[in-house]
Amino acid sequence: MTENTGKPAADNPYAQFYVVKKGDTLSKIAEEFYGDKMLYPKIFEANRDQLTDPNKIKPGQKLRIP
Amino acid sequence: MRFAKAFLAIAAVTLLVTGCARQKDDATKALTAIETSVTSMKDEGMKYAPVAYQGVESTLATLKDSLAKEDYKSVLAGTPELNKAVDSLKTAIASGKEQFTAATAEWSSMSADVPKMVEAIQSRVDILSSAKKLPKNVSKDALDSAKSGLDWMKSTWAEATAAAADKPAEAVEKARAVKAKGAEVLAALGMGA
Repeated sequence: MTENTGKPAADNPYAQFYVVKKGDTLSKIAEEFYGDKMLYPKIFEANRDQLTDPNKIKPGQKLRIP
Repeated sequence: MRFAKAFLAIAAVTLLVTGCARQKDDATKALTAIETSVTSMKDEGMKYAPVAYQGVESTLATLKDSLAKEDYKSVLAGTPELNKAVDSLKTAIASGKEQFTAATAEWSSMSADVPKMVEAIQSRVDILSSAKKLPKNVSKDALDSAKSGLDWMKSTWAEATAAAADKPAEAVEKARAVKAKGAEVLAALGMGA
């Protein structure tokens, strides 16, 4: 198997996605998917192709949830 | 009179010897032809239809033994059946080849797909393992089960990969089992489609 880098590759058909809603933050999303809001950097790192600041996400953005 | 009797006796013996020699000749030719055919099919036979091939080899060995014991009648009686078995072997090889090709193609597809499934599951298991608490839809038991499921997937995938070159059908069967387990694990982690 390939080395685990902590996030599935962009073209991974088994990756989970979440569409940002109004009022969402990466912390909230991390709490929903991981049970722990402090794990939000995992989501940020997995979406560096569309996020430059973990505090700036927009409704409608489709985020990969590793 | 005595000369005629002697002549008849000699003629009878000559006929007997000629008959035996012809039987030997026929048996030898028939068996040689079959052996040549079977030998030419050995590589493909062992690869695509090993059971049928070994059956034919075994029967051929028995008839060769009869030939060595000068039991030409048995050889001549047995060659038609052996010829049928050789024809069946050709069919079995062709069928085996088709199955091998189909399995190889399916393996090619699965070998691109299944590692991605494992990667996605591994990533989530690693993250949840470091979480202070788990999300509402994932219990500790579910996470533990996902971890052992993932371990099983990885070891079975390794077995599938090892089998792929020579036994693609076996590799595909294992790959399907890995994928089925993966679907269960994804669902347990709340990652199902």
